[in-house]
Amino acid sequence: MRSIRRRTEGVALAAILALPLASGCTEPLADPIPAAHGEDAPPQRGGTLHLASFGDIRALDPAVSAEVLAAGAGEHMFAGLVDYDEHANIVPDLAERYEISDDGLTYRFFLRQGVLFHDGEEVTADDERRSIERALNPLTPNPMSSYYEAIAGYEAYTTGKAPHLEGVSVEGRYVIAIRLQERDARFLAALALQNLRPVCRSAGERYVDNWPPCGAGPFKLLQGGWDHGRSLTIVRHDGYFRPGLPYLDAVTWTYSINIVTERFKLEEGNLDVLRDVTQADSIHFLTDPRWKHLGEYEPDRIIGGESMNTELPPFDNVEVRRAVAAAIDREQYKLLRPAIVRPAYQLLPPIVPGYDPTFEGQRYDYQAALEHMAKAGYPYDPATGHGGYPGRIRYLGYRQGLTEMTAQILQQQLARIGLHIDMQIVSYPTFLALAYRRHEIQMSAPGWTQDYPDPADFFEPLFSTKAINDEFSFNSSFYSNPRLDALLDEARHEMDRPRRMRLYGEANRIVCDDAPWAFTNSYRYFIVHQPYVRDYHTHPVWSEYLTKVWMDRPSGAVARGRRAAPLGSFASLFAAARKDPAP
Amino acid sequence: MMRQLGRRLLWALLVVWAATSLAFVINNALPSDPARMVAGPQARPRDVERIRSQLGLDRPLVEQYGTFMRRLVHVGPSTIQPDDARHKNCAAFGFVHLDLGRSYQQRRPVVTVLGERLPRTLLLAAAAVLVEIVLGVAAGVYAAMRRRKLADHLTVGATLLGVSAPTFVIGLVLQFVFAHKLRLLPLDGYGQTAGEHVVCVVLPALTLGVFGAAYYTRLVRDEMIVLLKQDYVRTARAKGVGEWGVVVRHALRNALVPLVTIVGMDLGALVGGAIVTETLFRWPGIGALSVTALLDRDGPMILGTVLLTSTAIVLSNVAVDFCYAALDPRVRK
Repeated sequence: MRSIRRRTEGVALAAILALPLASGCTEPLADPIPAAHGEDAPPQRGGTLHLASFGDIRALDPAVSAEVLAAGAGEHMFAGLVDYDEHANIVPDLAERYEISDDGLTYRFFLRQGVLFHDGEEVTADDERRSIERALNPLTPNPMSSYYEAIAGYEAYTTGKAPHLEGVSVEGRYVIAIRLQERDARFLAALALQNLRPVCRSAGERYVDNWPPCGAGPFKLLQGGWDHGRSLTIVRHDGYFRPGLPYLDAVTWTYSINIVTERFKLEEGNLDVLRDVTQADSIHFLTDPRWKHLGEYEPDRIIGGESMNTELPPFDNVEVRRAVAAAIDREQYKLLRPAIVRPAYQLLPPIVPGYDPTFEGQRYDYQAALEHMAKAGYPYDPATGHGGYPGRIRYLGYRQGLTEMTAQILQQQLARIGLHIDMQIVSYPTFLALAYRRHEIQMSAPGWTQDYPDPADFFEPLFSTKAINDEFSFNSSFYSNPRLDALLDEARHEMDRPRRMRLYGEANRIVCDDAPWAFTNSYRYFIVHQPYVRDYHTHPVWSEYLTKVWMDRPSGAVARGRRAAPLGSFASLFAAARKDPAP
Repeated sequence: MMRQLGRRLLWALLVVWAATSLAFVINNALPSDPARMVAGPQARPRDVERIRSQLGLDRPLVEQYGTFMRRLVHVGPSTIQPDDARHKNCAAFGFVHLDLGRSYQQRRPVVTVLGERLPRTLLLAAAAVLVEIVLGVAAGVYAAMRRRKLADHLTVGATLLGVSAPTFVIGLVLQFVFAHKLRLLPLDGYGQTAGEHVVCVVLPALTLGVFGAAYYTRLVRDEMIVLLKQDYVRTARAKGVGEWGVVVRHALRNALVPLVTIVGMDLGALVGGAIVTETLFRWPGIGALSVTALLDRDGPMILGTVLLTSTAIVLSNVAVDFCYAALDPRVRK
């Protein structure tokens, strides 16, 4: 998934743009617009929820979309066999239930009957099979295709050697079976993503760019509702299979918006939920008693760290890596953006299964760092400044992200143990090309965003030997440990969850001790909404879950915003001319 | 005249070709991977490789360049059918087709995206230049007529402020005052109807216009001060022509000659997009598009915006030269 980085960059850019207002001219927050009814009021149907983002979406077709932002919309347009609930548990969705065979190789899904696509056609097992084959077709530019390589016949189908995907079979109008080549405990987690979700028959057998998205989710695309780069409007799908849901008539996203403007719009009541908040405004919202209870943190889904190339000196020496992991005071990183950055001491963010809150992980310990340097053969005397690693370390970060700032902290902290880094800050595309190239960079600042909440999604791409490539090696530290590889392989095939988590616990300890990365921080977003937006909650995978959200907005002048225009304004004419989309 | 125009247009064509080719070379020389940008930073290597192959990025650069140039302008049917795969990315001008390829990121023909954005950019550019001219000329003439008086000093001071302030500061202040506090104008956006477009363009046009008008004011003021001392102006006054007649008919007309050059250049540059202003006001123009294309390494879109921008600048230069000739008889000779 890619747009978190954009988001980080965008927030930074917007924050710079917002500096004059955010630093000294920021006015106090306006009063929230109250809800029409009390807390115990029952949900009501109707209303349009207005959301916004400074980012933009590139694709809505689940077969090719991999952006976090698009996933938020896609979750509400496409229903899948299974989905993630609000605690990131995998639950049946289009499937009424599913069975896993004793050998762990066959997943059999029993579809709900009478579920309708947005175009009124019934969703059947044939549609599911067609949609899977369409998404994995070798001509589909699917960036997540290989997530499903465990399906039997994947290789033959995706290389064009077989006309159909052997492992997917229809066993009745409402039963579909997916057979794997080998046991894969990650499979359901990947299936719960949107990539293989069923799409209407109008999508055909092959992906085309200009197909108007159509699925079986709670909302459908309003005709002409996607204005590229500007906005997206989805309206309620009255044939949705969960009775009475969704409550909203429509949801509108405004894209490419300046984040200062977002705050203004929220206060005026023209935006109902604020997702992009400047650092200054985060503090305001978090400390203002009128707004504090209306804010909510998204679970941390991004892990940041300092990657050390284990193939290049001095990081081919594990003691140097341990010294770095112990020398970093992660609380200093937090100070950069205290409202959204949290120190991280291990690989997994707290929401991901396998996270161990009792595990100490990598902690700041300056004396231990000096001892590790001495063990590495580079003793350093802080009093005289003598000793340490004699060479300079090439460090790569990228512009407009948090790393531009964390790199400076790192530089200061490593100098205290006798490691001197030369910072090189490049554009993000250049960073991607150089940081993941073999024998190129000694140290870099990668991050990883959860694709799906499973420890394999973090461990395997970042630290397994098979993830090492000469170019675009996600294993940017080029770390190879046969013991870890064996553990990860075993965990991938282990269907017993407690045992699987124990395996990842051991993997976690190995990675923290060998320190190919010094884990530094996780990143989470603060979201605030108006009181009249009821039952709004963040979601650990999809950012937000809107199916049960309802609007309790008072009518009259308050509904249009608290301040009336002092003159007969153009803006009010403009607002009056704007009509909410009809479902 | 026609021969001269033809010669200039041929040069213009050469410049546009050179700019586009240079953009192609630079884009491909950068240490980055467009296929990775399409797939996303966390896409697995084999998925990226498949996308690279689908986009034709695994072919030699010379072949990619040749394909781009061969398709760029070609002959085809005057009406493109929706199922015509060969010409699905083309814009048809009669039998002449323009094909800039398909955007890697937007998955739409580049000509379609540019076609959507260009009118919006032209509207903003025209409105901004209008603000620049009206404010700049009025303030410049006023300051020149009150040379070394308080009004002159205030005007010159204000232009200093206008020139010094970055557009994002001007834009934010205008947005804060006129949209957020006074609520006279929309905060951002483009609107749906023609009336809304006009309302929405006011603040971004003012942002660009105030910045540019500061230059115009200084230019016009300095020109006018010199011109108002000329013999023909004194003669006009001696003949009893009123002060406004002297200023407008005799001095200002001559002061406009250097202004035309600047206006032409400005217009050309603005067609290339006003990046900060478009971003701040969520104006869906070429500027924001080109930045996104660059960040995404969206090759076809980068080449499309470079081609459009260079064409606009080169053509505006040609137009300026011919306007010059029309305004100043000495140039015609």
